[in-house]
Amino acid sequence: MANIAVQRIKRELKEVLNSDEVARCSIHVELVGESFAELKGEIAGPPDTPYEGARFQLEIKIPETYPFNPPKVRFVTKIWHPNVSSVTGAICLDILKHQWAAAMTLRTVLLSLQALLASPEPDDPQDAVVARQCKDKPQIFHLTAQHWANAYAGGPSINTDYENKIRRLKDLGVTEMNARASLSSCDWDLERATEQIFS
Amino acid sequence: MDSDEDIMYDDDYDDSGNESSGDDDVEFAMVEEPNNPKERQELDEYPYEVLTTEQILQHMNECMKEVNIVVEMPSTVIRMLLNHFRWDKEKLMERYYDGDPEKLFTEAHVASPFAKMAVPAKIAKKEHRRTGPSVEECEICLSTLPSSVMSGLECGHRFCVSCWAEYLTTKIMSEGIGQTISCAAHNCEILIDDATVMKLVPDAKVRLKYQHLITNSFVECNRLLRWCPSPDCSSVIRVQHVESRPVTCRCGHTFCFACGNNWHEPVRCTLLRKWIKKCDDDSETSNWIAANTKECPKCKATIEKDGGCNHMVCKNSHCKTEFCWVCLGPWEPHGTSWYNCNRYDEDEARAARDAQERSRAALQRYLFYCNRYMNHMQSLRLEHKHYATVKEKMEEMQQHNMSWIEVQFLKKAVDILCQCRQTLMYTYVFAYYLKKNNQSVIFEDNQRDLETATEKLSEYLERDITQENLVDIKQKVQDKYRYCDSRRRVLAEHVYEGYDKEWWEYND
Repeated sequence: MANIAVQRIKRELKEVLNSDEVARCSIHVELVGESFAELKGEIAGPPDTPYEGARFQLEIKIPETYPFNPPKVRFVTKIWHPNVSSVTGAICLDILKHQWAAAMTLRTVLLSLQALLASPEPDDPQDAVVARQCKDKPQIFHLTAQHWANAYAGGPSINTDYENKIRRLKDLGVTEMNARASLSSCDWDLERATEQIFS
Repeated sequence: MDSDEDIMYDDDYDDSGNESSGDDDVEFAMVEEPNNPKERQELDEYPYEVLTTEQILQHMNECMKEVNIVVEMPSTVIRMLLNHFRWDKEKLMERYYDGDPEKLFTEAHVASPFAKMAVPAKIAKKEHRRTGPSVEECEICLSTLPSSVMSGLECGHRFCVSCWAEYLTTKIMSEGIGQTISCAAHNCEILIDDATVMKLVPDAKVRLKYQHLITNSFVECNRLLRWCPSPDCSSVIRVQHVESRPVTCRCGHTFCFACGNNWHEPVRCTLLRKWIKKCDDDSETSNWIAANTKECPKCKATIEKDGGCNHMVCKNSHCKTEFCWVCLGPWEPHGTSWYNCNRYDEDEARAARDAQERSRAALQRYLFYCNRYMNHMQSLRLEHKHYATVKEKMEEMQQHNMSWIEVQFLKKAVDILCQCRQTLMYTYVFAYYLKKNNQSVIFEDNQRDLETATEKLSEYLERDITQENLVDIKQKVQDKYRYCDSRRRVLAEHVYEGYDKEWWEYND
């Protein structure tokens, strides 16, 4: 790996670890292996959002040409958010693409992602289904996001109605993950979700 | 010696043969000339010149100088402004004198040359306060370095020279951006001028690529210039006005100036483009292209989607259209209702099924024309091989008491054969889109005549020259190629006349 990239990552790790956010446990970064090419990130769901109380794991890959090209970041933890693919975890965020600037750091990336969780941009979506729900049925979107945060990211609120619906589908032999995805995309309409799965 | 109209066609093959075409051609020219006064005037006057890369640079500098005489600014600023206006000098001048020059600089993302002194001083002061008198921190490599190795533009963002070099190298080499590299700081849109780039990039290879990118954008933004499309040729054709006309590069390649494809008489560029796309759609690569890419709705560049967002921004440096991937409409209205695009429409689905039936019939029709088009293309490729066999034959004939001049008819015959093949090939493109009417019937008759004659000529050159008596074959070949050539002209003129008189109606 290019020297400048390694140099930068070392400095940035130090910067993150000494930052106020780490002290407040809101972000965290650590190396994966020895090479500085891959890191593991973690962000806390921001307060007053459906993600509050949950923690999200991120995969961060540092390209050879870092910091002149952006790091490749993806959600490992499943999340229900208009700008993150509910299937792959791919993120749609301008600073991870054309708006990347060499002077940005891992810390600013993680903080931007946190800000993205707090203010979704359904008009510039990564996941069309989630984005539509977010715009048309904000109430359901909020509950669904909360439910996913609970199921995958250790969020605190349990939604017994949703849990029951998932169980009904599980009884029909559907895996929990598929059941949740289908129900979520059908606005928790059990009939439509069943139809979607079995047609 | 050749008549004027021949130059138009023959320049590309005839490098050695022009002054030597011999008595046959004098005769030929005399016979042909009076028959085609109209075509001569139509085809002859299209002045163009072939420029080398150096001449392009010179031309670019001249354009800049012209502006510089009027508005006194550094040449790099002028280049960026001109690029912003796609090298339209008048537009630049108009905007410069009409309104607020500062606003113009902001719009073009150029650091104002008049504000040069004010900004850096302010920034420098700030830096001094933070890090002491002679060291600064580079925000890219995060090292603290002496101010002497820090550099930046009028926007005040400063980075160390090695980071600058690395940043510019990445932009130039891996992203292929030349004209529009902006400052490395986040959200700073100030463009970097070429003097700065040349100063900060140490690697000669990168600098060369940069210069190439700059010339390239100059040529691409300039309507009157076009790169020769043949591989490894770096010449540029410059014309006085854009028109669909054949131009021949120094390398020998003849192409249509308006669209850059091989010269495609008699069909027009728009139809040809449609056709090429259609043909490409059937090959494997194009299946992939069709499945994975769409065209920019404005500049028609082929775009592959590599992320999830449907909000597309065309990367073509002079386009930058924002559009929706799903419907290819402008992005603007999607700001609030983008999801209209993935709503499944029952009526549309029914319509699609009907369309499928229709498309089956259409496919049959397409295959008919495509087959013939491809067939002529294939033959054209094979005819080019004739040049070798014909050369052998010509040498052999010269040993049989024929003079060099006397045997040139064979080469001429192959030239004409190739032209006829090429024209025929494109007549099928034209015919595919043509709606049936009285004139189209005449066109098809012309096409059939030319095709029959061309096949006959091809046959003579392929077989008969090896079998028959030399004097006989010469007479036969000459008669045939004259006939072919005249049929080809008749066909082309008829099509052009149709364009003028609006006879042609098109499908789709």
